[in-house]
Amino acid sequence: MEELSIKLNLIRELALKDLKIRYSRPVLGFFWVFLTPILTVAIFYIIFGLVLNVKAAGVPFILYLMSGVFPWVFFQDSVFRSISSLVDNKNLIRDANFPHYLIPVSIVVSNAIIFLPPLLIVVFSSLFVLKGLPVFIILLPVVLIIHFIVTLLLSITFSMLYVKWRDLKYVIEAAFLLLFYLTPVFYSISMIKSSFPGILYKAYIYNPFVGLLILYRIALLKGFLGTIRGYTGFFVIALQLVIFIMLILMITVYVYRKNKGIINDYLAY
Amino acid sequence: MITLLTEPEKDNLPIKSAELSKIGKKYRVAKAINPVSEDFWALKDISFNIYKGRIFGIIGRNGAGKTTLLNIIAGTLSPTEGDIRLNSRVRGLFNLGVGFQDELTGRENIFLNGAILGAAKKEIESRLNAIIEFSEIVNFIDMPMGSYSQGMRLRLGFSIVTNLDFDVLIIDEILAVGDALFQNKCYEMLVDLKKRSKTLIITSQDLSMIERLCDEALLIDHGRILFQGKPKEAIGKYRALLNTEKFFVGLPPRKPINLIEDTKKWADNTSDWGNKFGTKEASIESVKFINKHGVEANEINTMDSLRVKVSFSVKGEVKNPHFGVAIFRDDGVYCYGPNTGFDNRLISKLKQGKGYFFLDYQSLLLAPGKYRVSIAIWDRDEALAYDHHYGYYKLTITGYDNKQRELLCMPVKTDAGMASKIIRFLTCKRKKIDVGRHLLTNKSGKIYDSAYAKITYARLLDANGNGKNIFMTNERAEFSIGLDRKEPVGKGLYLWLGIYRDDGIYCQGVTTLLNNGEDYSILFPKFLLLPGQYLGSVGIWDSLNENFLLYHHGIYPFKMVSDKQDHGTVYMKHEWKWGTE
Repeated sequence: MEELSIKLNLIRELALKDLKIRYSRPVLGFFWVFLTPILTVAIFYIIFGLVLNVKAAGVPFILYLMSGVFPWVFFQDSVFRSISSLVDNKNLIRDANFPHYLIPVSIVVSNAIIFLPPLLIVVFSSLFVLKGLPVFIILLPVVLIIHFIVTLLLSITFSMLYVKWRDLKYVIEAAFLLLFYLTPVFYSISMIKSSFPGILYKAYIYNPFVGLLILYRIALLKGFLGTIRGYTGFFVIALQLVIFIMLILMITVYVYRKNKGIINDYLAY
Repeated sequence: MITLLTEPEKDNLPIKSAELSKIGKKYRVAKAINPVSEDFWALKDISFNIYKGRIFGIIGRNGAGKTTLLNIIAGTLSPTEGDIRLNSRVRGLFNLGVGFQDELTGRENIFLNGAILGAAKKEIESRLNAIIEFSEIVNFIDMPMGSYSQGMRLRLGFSIVTNLDFDVLIIDEILAVGDALFQNKCYEMLVDLKKRSKTLIITSQDLSMIERLCDEALLIDHGRILFQGKPKEAIGKYRALLNTEKFFVGLPPRKPINLIEDTKKWADNTSDWGNKFGTKEASIESVKFINKHGVEANEINTMDSLRVKVSFSVKGEVKNPHFGVAIFRDDGVYCYGPNTGFDNRLISKLKQGKGYFFLDYQSLLLAPGKYRVSIAIWDRDEALAYDHHYGYYKLTITGYDNKQRELLCMPVKTDAGMASKIIRFLTCKRKKIDVGRHLLTNKSGKIYDSAYAKITYARLLDANGNGKNIFMTNERAEFSIGLDRKEPVGKGLYLWLGIYRDDGIYCQGVTTLLNNGEDYSILFPKFLLLPGQYLGSVGIWDSLNENFLLYHHGIYPFKMVSDKQDHGTVYMKHEWKWGTE
């Protein structure tokens, strides 16, 4: 119990440090937490909504975009910043004795904190634009926890592997670029279904990140569940996410157990 | 060499804080350094116990494995082999103020640093005032850390770690920085912690502090325990080790192609002279200086032959020993220190019993004066002395009145120019012209010309008459000096060449009477200076008025290199012999 409180305290302090350092010096300070996602969405909207005229079935495109971009930014930022976190903080790890995973955890926590304000923007925009929220808003905490756990596990695994294998950062960056296009952040699933043959579409829809984004939208956008029914089943998504989490949990535990004893030797140089 | 642990007293059995048994730590040497990756054991066979309420010091040279060992005790590194058992809450501190952030205030950093060191928030809050007070930065505690001085960071870092609760505290290179006042305060703090029966494990190069503070000390070298026990003894052994290392700093494997450009040592700290160090597996029984007539003497004439005869006795068996003899001037200037290792003379082993070795110098090229001789028998790696009599033996060299404190007496020829055809061969035995060297104090690099004459050139020539300024030890070297005179020669004028080491030590001076010639040559058939930077000075000395007519002081630099590792200033031809008595 005391162990746990010490770890929680460290996570809190590290996350606080991270936030303070990121937002204490800029003139606009914490305001950037709102500004960055709004700017990102604005750019996406101009390119895809106005120039390329992408449409989403059932909901206004701007809401569709926000409900996809914000979770994606949280996910991508957390993983990217975590990958090199052990190497970046090697003096901390080598000089003080605490479990390595606390460092990526603190980064994911700090990113999760700055993910909350944009999430509130989506919730309120959805409330006003669609004149009400879906019943599934009660699912939002569950979706957030699932997303948080997935991000956490991947961040820990990548950060551990990166210490030994420094190519990983570039590989992951490339993989995320691909994954971004393979996930319906800025386009609707109907576009995929109409242009891809059955087998490829199945492979696409079973991507856990597609499932995750669908869950976000079901929880945030009123009437989205009706639109999505034609593409996939709710329980299929739930099942594929459960399997995916079990899988990466096992990988993370394996990678962590295998490396924690020797990782400091690799951090020395 | 491994000494048994000091056994705890039976009636008052101390509690163990940490038990280490047969700890080893292996690293793989990176391929970039070495084409074949090799295993490197940073630690091997380390076993010891640390008892509660004691201050335990670990000493050793840089790279001996101290920090690796501390990391293993603290748990930040895991040993490759062996077991470690900790019975308490260990708090490591390898750098004061780990993770201090410039952007955060001092107070925020206390919480962050405390969390990193593994303290709960409540604990930090309850100690906050004590931490701030001890660190003496009350007024600045809410300022960003970026504005703190190095000393303030250090004080805060130390204050945090010592005010938090722990059972075992590990501090690497403790108090390496910080002013004397703060060091004193820290010292008091550490003593106070000990009174509260906390266990401290520290490393430091401040040996007097280790001696004052520690109850027990561990000496490690090359990842192995050399000694464990009373700090005083450990420090004595460490000093012996350091002194041996001074002579043979990181001796590289001999590569014949590489030229050596520095002697490793040009001077010595005379304060340690007269001491004997060593492990005494082999011990030096007697040392005799034998002159050219085969008679024992403590006074040897300059340029005569000298035999140093050393008798020793061996306990058990000693493998691959090296013999060494070093001569210093009485002010610590290193003259020459050959050893059988440098000379590639391998001695496979010494058997139990008595033995001797000789070092025969053909000709002592040292100027008259008082000298000290060190004699040593080293182990294979020249890391540890079996016996080292350090600056222990006095030797006087006689010949002439060496008022100028020259160091050397290398054979030299002078050729006084085309006009005279007079060629003289100077030895140190003839009366020397005493140049007023004191007049040139602090004038290095200065030129003073007179209306009477001018030095038109001064250069160094090799055997083929080509000018150069890098010479091999033992090469022929000729100083060629040109004079342009506006008046006829006066009486009692001498051309002077002075050779200095770049640390200012006067090696040798050569004078030759001025005549009508314009080109002068000063020739060293064998230029025996050892590797390093040297400076040449040229001047005209007016012996009647006791003044320099002109001088170019220390403006002719040249460099000596060699293909052979050596210590000192001059190479003197020598031979080793040894046998059993």
